[in-house]
Amino acid sequence: MSKKVGIPKALLYYNFYPAWKVFFNELGAEVITSGNTCKKIIDDGVKSCVDEACLPVKVFVGHVIDLKEKGVDYIFIPRIVSIEPKKYLCAKFLGLPDMVKCLVPDLPEIIDTKIDLYKNDKSLMREIVRTGKKFVSDKAKIYMGYYKALEMQNKFEGIMKMGFSPNEAIKSLEGEDVKVINNGNLKIALLAHSYDIMDDYICMGIVDRLREMGAFVYTIEMIEKNKIEMGVRKLPKDSFWTYGHDILGAGQYFLDNKNVDGVITVSAFGCGPDSLIEDLLERYYKRDGKIPFMSLTIDEHTGEAGILTRLEAFMDLLRWKKGEIVI
Amino acid sequence: MKITYPHMGPLNIALKTMFSGIGVDIIEPPPITNRTLSLGVKYSPEFACLPLKINLGNFIETLEKGADTIIMLGGVGPCRFGYYGEVQREILKDLGFDFKMIIVEPPHGRLADFFKELSEEFPGIGWQPALKSLIFAIQKIFAADKLEKQLLNYRAHENETGLVTKIYDEYTKLLDESQNKKELDEVLHEGILKMKHNANRINDIQIKVAVVGEIYLLLEAFSNMNICKALNELGVEVTKTEYLSDYLKNSAFKLPQKLEFKKNAKGYLERDIGGHGLNTVANTVKYAKKGYDGIIQVFPFTCTPEIVAQGIIAKIGRDMNIPVMSLSYDENTGQAGYQTRLEAFVDLLARKKMKKI
Repeated sequence: MSKKVGIPKALLYYNFYPAWKVFFNELGAEVITSGNTCKKIIDDGVKSCVDEACLPVKVFVGHVIDLKEKGVDYIFIPRIVSIEPKKYLCAKFLGLPDMVKCLVPDLPEIIDTKIDLYKNDKSLMREIVRTGKKFVSDKAKIYMGYYKALEMQNKFEGIMKMGFSPNEAIKSLEGEDVKVINNGNLKIALLAHSYDIMDDYICMGIVDRLREMGAFVYTIEMIEKNKIEMGVRKLPKDSFWTYGHDILGAGQYFLDNKNVDGVITVSAFGCGPDSLIEDLLERYYKRDGKIPFMSLTIDEHTGEAGILTRLEAFMDLLRWKKGEIVI
Repeated sequence: MKITYPHMGPLNIALKTMFSGIGVDIIEPPPITNRTLSLGVKYSPEFACLPLKINLGNFIETLEKGADTIIMLGGVGPCRFGYYGEVQREILKDLGFDFKMIIVEPPHGRLADFFKELSEEFPGIGWQPALKSLIFAIQKIFAADKLEKQLLNYRAHENETGLVTKIYDEYTKLLDESQNKKELDEVLHEGILKMKHNANRINDIQIKVAVVGEIYLLLEAFSNMNICKALNELGVEVTKTEYLSDYLKNSAFKLPQKLEFKKNAKGYLERDIGGHGLNTVANTVKYAKKGYDGIIQVFPFTCTPEIVAQGIIAKIGRDMNIPVMSLSYDENTGQAGYQTRLEAFVDLLARKKMKKI
């Protein structure tokens, strides 16, 4: 019987899941994800976590508990230090497997593959092989799994560049027929970590809400890399966080090119990197004064009505600015 | 050019010595007060951490006093500190201040590079006087830290409340004013002796606590509401795990302390996670092994590395049977609440120890 690898549907799931799945499948393992975020998952996570951890981490821990209850053989919690040279992810990713082990007792074996491309990728293959050896002894098979995973990652990112959100891209790769209505007449850049806006429970399906209200929504994943780099070049100092770099760069790009009607940022309460990145972005937008900018903060107490009211008000503002609404 | 910089433990004493040694004008940041904090809080991003807010308050107060150049350290993450300067500069710009901000980016995070780059900002100053002032400044940091280490022991035994603190304040001022190494050594020696002579009280149950956590919170008594003093006055001997001199030793000379941290943290945290998260975990293990009675972690609210560490050291506390308390601080922190928690914690430690005896 094949071994079951559990992947929590939280945090970087939204950035890498299809590739991870292919890798483990190639090694002959079965991949099981946790269920969609629900009240129980959040409650479990909140109870097990330290108070001050951010909502995405609490949700992640809830998903780990969900997988434990599902009885998987392994849980995949990679230690993702860096996914590109000279940039880190937020500090929580660096200690994630350690933290989870301390917070949740009696876990199945954790697969804590270390991904650290900060200086070079020398250690990466070693880590891939170390991970693969848990399932097969044939190195060639492990390498094959790795390359198939890379291929999948490229495909995944390609689909998102066509205007699909990570959720939709994952669904379409799983063979579902995904239809996206992304043709509203107001263009909105929704700049946020994918785990803050893709989890429909914690962010009330913000992408679809905006689309229903008539917005064409750009998330970070849909924006071409070169546009982000163009934006980043205008900054005095690039951010040393990968996703902070993307948010700042995309924000600056839209500010320079004026090709969106409004910008919304979403961050988790107490998010360290976002506290600085969004403040800077907001300053740049205020100084320019031409594009409306709104920040939303979410935590485990966020109410649907509050988010909805603010989105509606923001859309009204944009419509009024365009002359579609007259007061 | 009138230079200023933020407060951080004995940094002020050191930088003053260094810059005056090479004839550069400085404007010393005034002592951190509630006004400093209010100013910082008013203009900083809401979820920025306390050190950023206090730094910003420092800058506003010194710019008001006529400073025109700010020196700040940069960094390459993953801790937010590396991006402080960028944000602070833009905030101060929006407030209408006219100034130059020198953000020294340590290419490899080493203090030696910091000084090298800094020297490029001051052409025309010979390296000999610069080196001389630098060495004296560093000696002052080491002396100030030694004096404080003794303070945290002797104050737990002071003959009358406030006496040892008074002596310490007096001798810190003398350290600050000392003109050469000889004078510095004498002041330090005398200060330690004087504290010792005024601390003879013997506690029935002697409790020892290690205070671990984020470095700024440990170095700036204002930011942690003087937790060490509060503990000392409850009769507790305190060991603080971060000093500016340790930071200097580690980053300037890459001493093997990092290896020691990794060894101690093994099994709990397998790598450096930025900020002082690894230190916090390692020090908790270290002082638990040393037989301390309790561990208190202090950190700024929303500090990610320390939050990761918080979850981990709670487990260490259970595994090694040592009480651990985590305290996070922001601008809304009230003194009374913390005092109550400290007293309760110390009570708990005393009871635990009583049972043992």
